[in-house]
Amino acid sequence: MAYKIAVASSDGVNIDTSFGAANVFDIYEAEGKEYHLAEKREYTFPEGEAPEKADAANNGDCGSGNGCGTSGGCGTGNGCGSSGGTFPKVQLIGDCRCVICKKIGFQITRQLEKLAITGFDVDCTVEEALTKITVYLEKIDNHQSLRGIQTDKA
Amino acid sequence: MAINLNNSNVATRENRIGSITGYIGSLSDLAGQSECGTLKGCSRCFSQSSTCLSSCALGQLSAIRDVAIIHHGPAGCSVAAAGAYYLDKVMAKKRGVTNDTVYVGTDMNENDTIFGSTEALRGIILEVNKRYSPKAIFVTSSCATGIIGEDIDSIVDEVKEEIEVPIVAVHCEGFKSRIWATGFDIADHAVLSSIVQPPREKNNKINFKNFYESARPEIMEMFANFDLEPVFLYCNSTVEELSHISESLATTCICGTLGNYLGNALEETYGVPYVRSINQCGIVGFETWLREIGRVTDRTEKIEKYIEEQRAIYMPKIEEVKKELKGLKAVIGMGPGYTFEVSRVLDELGIEVVWALAWHYDKKYENGDVPPSMKYLLDNGIDFEASVADQQNFEVMNILNKYQPDLYLSRHPGSTVWAIKNGTPAVYVADEYMIFGYQHTLEFAYAILDSIRNRSFEKNLAKRTKLPYTDWWYQQNVGTFLEEAK
Amino acid sequence: MAKLLDKQRYKCALGAMQTVQAITRAIPILHSGPGCAQKLSDSIGSSGYFSPNIFPCTSINEKDVVFGGVKKLHSTIDNALKVVDADLYVVLTGCIPEIVGDDTGEVVSEFADADKPVIYASTAGFKGNNYKGHEQVIDAIIDQYLKKSENKQKGLVNIWADVPYQDLFWLGNIKELERLLEEIGLTPNTIFGYNRGIEHIDRIPEAEFNLLVSPWVSVKNMKKMEKKLGIPYFHYPTLPIGAYETSKFLREVGKFAGVDEKKVEGVINEHENYYYYLIERYADLFLENRVINKQFSVVADAQYALGITKFLTNDLGLVPAKQFIVDDTPREFRDAIAEEFTKLNYGLKAEVAFETDSYKIHEEIKNHDYHGYPLILGSYYEKELTEKLKGNYLNIAWPVQDKVVFDDFYVGYTGGIRLIEDIYTVAVQRFN
Repeated sequence: MAYKIAVASSDGVNIDTSFGAANVFDIYEAEGKEYHLAEKREYTFPEGEAPEKADAANNGDCGSGNGCGTSGGCGTGNGCGSSGGTFPKVQLIGDCRCVICKKIGFQITRQLEKLAITGFDVDCTVEEALTKITVYLEKIDNHQSLRGIQTDKA
Repeated sequence: MAINLNNSNVATRENRIGSITGYIGSLSDLAGQSECGTLKGCSRCFSQSSTCLSSCALGQLSAIRDVAIIHHGPAGCSVAAAGAYYLDKVMAKKRGVTNDTVYVGTDMNENDTIFGSTEALRGIILEVNKRYSPKAIFVTSSCATGIIGEDIDSIVDEVKEEIEVPIVAVHCEGFKSRIWATGFDIADHAVLSSIVQPPREKNNKINFKNFYESARPEIMEMFANFDLEPVFLYCNSTVEELSHISESLATTCICGTLGNYLGNALEETYGVPYVRSINQCGIVGFETWLREIGRVTDRTEKIEKYIEEQRAIYMPKIEEVKKELKGLKAVIGMGPGYTFEVSRVLDELGIEVVWALAWHYDKKYENGDVPPSMKYLLDNGIDFEASVADQQNFEVMNILNKYQPDLYLSRHPGSTVWAIKNGTPAVYVADEYMIFGYQHTLEFAYAILDSIRNRSFEKNLAKRTKLPYTDWWYQQNVGTFLEEAK
Repeated sequence: MAKLLDKQRYKCALGAMQTVQAITRAIPILHSGPGCAQKLSDSIGSSGYFSPNIFPCTSINEKDVVFGGVKKLHSTIDNALKVVDADLYVVLTGCIPEIVGDDTGEVVSEFADADKPVIYASTAGFKGNNYKGHEQVIDAIIDQYLKKSENKQKGLVNIWADVPYQDLFWLGNIKELERLLEEIGLTPNTIFGYNRGIEHIDRIPEAEFNLLVSPWVSVKNMKKMEKKLGIPYFHYPTLPIGAYETSKFLREVGKFAGVDEKKVEGVINEHENYYYYLIERYADLFLENRVINKQFSVVADAQYALGITKFLTNDLGLVPAKQFIVDDTPREFRDAIAEEFTKLNYGLKAEVAFETDSYKIHEEIKNHDYHGYPLILGSYYEKELTEKLKGNYLNIAWPVQDKVVFDDFYVGYTGGIRLIEDIYTVAVQRFN
């Protein structure tokens, strides 16, 4: 079954961007071991929110940026994490099966997992990451053994 | 969080409620962040071994009477069979019942990891059923079976037609979660999805999730005063008993980490109220818990009368021993359920907590609340240094070395020895009822007093042993190996 | 192929972390899931200089499965060298890295220049049980650490016996074997336990020969050392328990080592005098009790099944019923071991089964006529069964719940006396 993978990369070659700092995601379509770049999705930072600051907010620093603020604020008794809505940036890639970034903050990871999106924070090339993840998922989906996935360089 | 009983995979605890296993700071900071949902999880670049979630899951399930656990994996995974056999026999003997639960492995070998072994598993399930006629069968996976893609769900579905008792697949791939307490949820999920039936008629029972039911007789006696009957889970439970737990008046537990999945699921699915309060440790905890039970089961008057009677007996004695404990400094390291509860009890007894280590920390319970034990500490202005470290002994040693407390309290096997090697008296809070209610709180106070009164053993041993860490490590910051997720 | 492992009596190959643990100041580094060490450790007697809860571990998670765990392994070894004060670091691989194919050897080779030796052993759980894992660790020491020595020490003998911790009496047994060899004038060298460690490992290549006291465990290690280090070996399959077997053992070892026969006989004579002084005093107990009958079964690994059968038969004059070997003995050794059970005094032969399915063992014990109360020496699993049969039961094999052993032992003259004490301590607790 075909699925999508979001990748945060400034040059399309290396996974070099953290989730919070990314202003564009490369969306790959994958099926089995095959994948190709299908589209790019841009994220427009809200006015006054610099990427670095957004990064902090996405990591969930209380009271800064749009972290708690947009989701009801602290002290509402519900706790922001569970009651708040999804960050717009997470929604942007909400149809993907996984997202690959250099770093992913804890809050983002939680939000991703609620949407059943697997976040991989890795430091390697886009090609390597996509190859490994597509191989892994294909095998898991088909109840195939992962024997040798670290030695098969294919 | 909706609980889906139709799926054999429990989302791991990290996913569901955002637990963390790496944090250092003060308690108020930890809690403050938890309210805002801002905690960062930290991964580690150096760690020491901890616990497998399968130990927690199957430790729970194998304590149920007359069931079968089939642990599909290499012999090391199913090695818990030996301990389970022993526990089942001695716990049943103590209670005066019999327990013929069997826990078998499948001794997977290299061939199986290449060619698969689901057919062999099918044969094993049928053979175990034939040999022992268990009342329920739990078929469980391991890291190796997960990695080679064994489809145990399909096998279980297929053999269902041939087996008349409940049979369920239990997913225990250890690598799926670092938070071993997820295993408790996995066990609850298996019981809920295969054994528990919808309520037929309500009764006057209270589901009491605990570990080894050591206080069973006294709790039964106490509850009889309130016309309530506790049903202890899962040690010595029968499958028949478990099938009725949806009919109880309420669910309570001795440890939030242990009980919150079952409690919430019974509440959500069958409307059985889950008693959420600080737990029964210490005076405040015990009374708060009893009052909450009174409220939920409409027995407030009886319970207030009981509290008054017991207070008259025990409070003077507790006040007496407190005089001798005043001013002591303690470090504690336990699961999150106990760390904050025991901190509170120590505060009640006049002992100062200088550092608390929780092995992991649930930022929120299933219903979205901050854990009540934490809330209590904050509301009462009790604060201390705290860290979240999943049984990372090198961090404990570092802290003990820096703070040189009068006392270390722990409830995980193997951890107290390191404290006494450091010359620090240690109290092993092994039994979950060790600080339960008035009588055990008094006993606990005396246990502490006796531990610090005679430090001969600790001092003798510490003098003769060398600690296994380098001088370099003792000079480091505790958080050296925590990588901040930025 | 996967099989029904009912009441299991061994662990997996990664259980060899206990072999490493038995080498003082050696520490295992686990490339495995977070809970393997805890599962594979025993809850008592594990709080030595290093205990399982401080073993460094990569605690493999899902990301490591997809992207490989070698980076994490590298940092874990690197930091273990900094944090933990050890003499030898032994990296042990669990199931996941071996299936997905992490190149552990390559990571370990990056530490070739570290201040302390770092070696690795392939101990994935599916590779076999902890008896095999034990061999893997010793092989790793031979292959990756030891070098051939031209400098041989006269009379120096390396002693190898069964698996530490799996064998409840490992420490006491190896110390007693050392004492016995010392008495006949040899210089024993062992690597496990108190006051042993890296310097004793260093001494291995200088030995005149290896003495292996085990039915099969470590035979492959002996062959490897013979080939790589030029050390010949003497394989003595029977753990000698009691006077009869121990005297035989000393004569054969003495002969192999070229020790003066008179010296050996002198040692034997002195031990036997004291041994039979004790036996004579307690012979009344053996003869005039109402509960110990002649027939017995041992349910244990090959070592104790064979050693105890020979002792109870050749020394104490009991009669073997069927014996059960539960360590999943490799097939190539089974015939030779079974043969040993036929070499008993008065032409007695014991039937022996190699069986890992305890249901079948229990069925056989239940169905056998012991002509009176059965005497069963086995693991904790046999307790309830023997009680139901009104028999006498002694817990001598893993899992152990009925006995705490610090450094007690069953080997040798003294060991035989200890075993008799244990059996009759059970017997005197009942009248008939």
